[in-house]
Amino acid sequence: MDETTPPPPPEEHSPPPPPPQSHTGSPTDFLKGVVGKRVIVRLTSGVDYQGILSCLDGYMNIALEQTEEHVNGAITNRYGDAFIRGNNVLYISAAETI
Amino acid sequence: MDPSATGIQEPFDLIRLSLSERVFVKLRGDREVTGILHAYDGHMNLILSDVEETIMIVDTENAPDGTVNVAKRKMEMLFVRGDGVILVSPPSRA
Repeated sequence: MDETTPPPPPEEHSPPPPPPQSHTGSPTDFLKGVVGKRVIVRLTSGVDYQGILSCLDGYMNIALEQTEEHVNGAITNRYGDAFIRGNNVLYISAAETI
Repeated sequence: MDPSATGIQEPFDLIRLSLSERVFVKLRGDREVTGILHAYDGHMNLILSDVEETIMIVDTENAPDGTVNVAKRKMEMLFVRGDGVILVSPPSRA
């Protein structure tokens, strides 16, 4: 590269990559963040449970409030409280901003 | 404390608060039972009394899809092995 001529000033060079966002966290951080929030829990059977995540434990047993059971997109049941045994859980999805 | 939490710190608290109450249990194999919860353990093995079991049978052979036959039976006392449990719902306490 010829260094004698200064290169033209870079026109509004894109800013450096932003610092790591605060939502780079561990899975545990995510789970702590969604307690008390609306979540969608999908079981390996494909059934979805949407409700407010009361708490969960190390087995991923889950307590939900105001739970709606969705099968193929249709509501099939409602529970005031629900305990879901952890071995059935496929994922927990945040249904609102955390 | 969050008033909606009602003192629940871990999921098993939900079950503990349902002792001596009628609970709904969803099981593997398209089965549901309701009964009075007498005891449970960390596997979610359950002892229920005054039990009604509901078995959903989808007849794909003869009937067009969507037809579900329901069989019910009653049992006085039942031990449910924990690994069959999908969901337990206590009675709704307002």
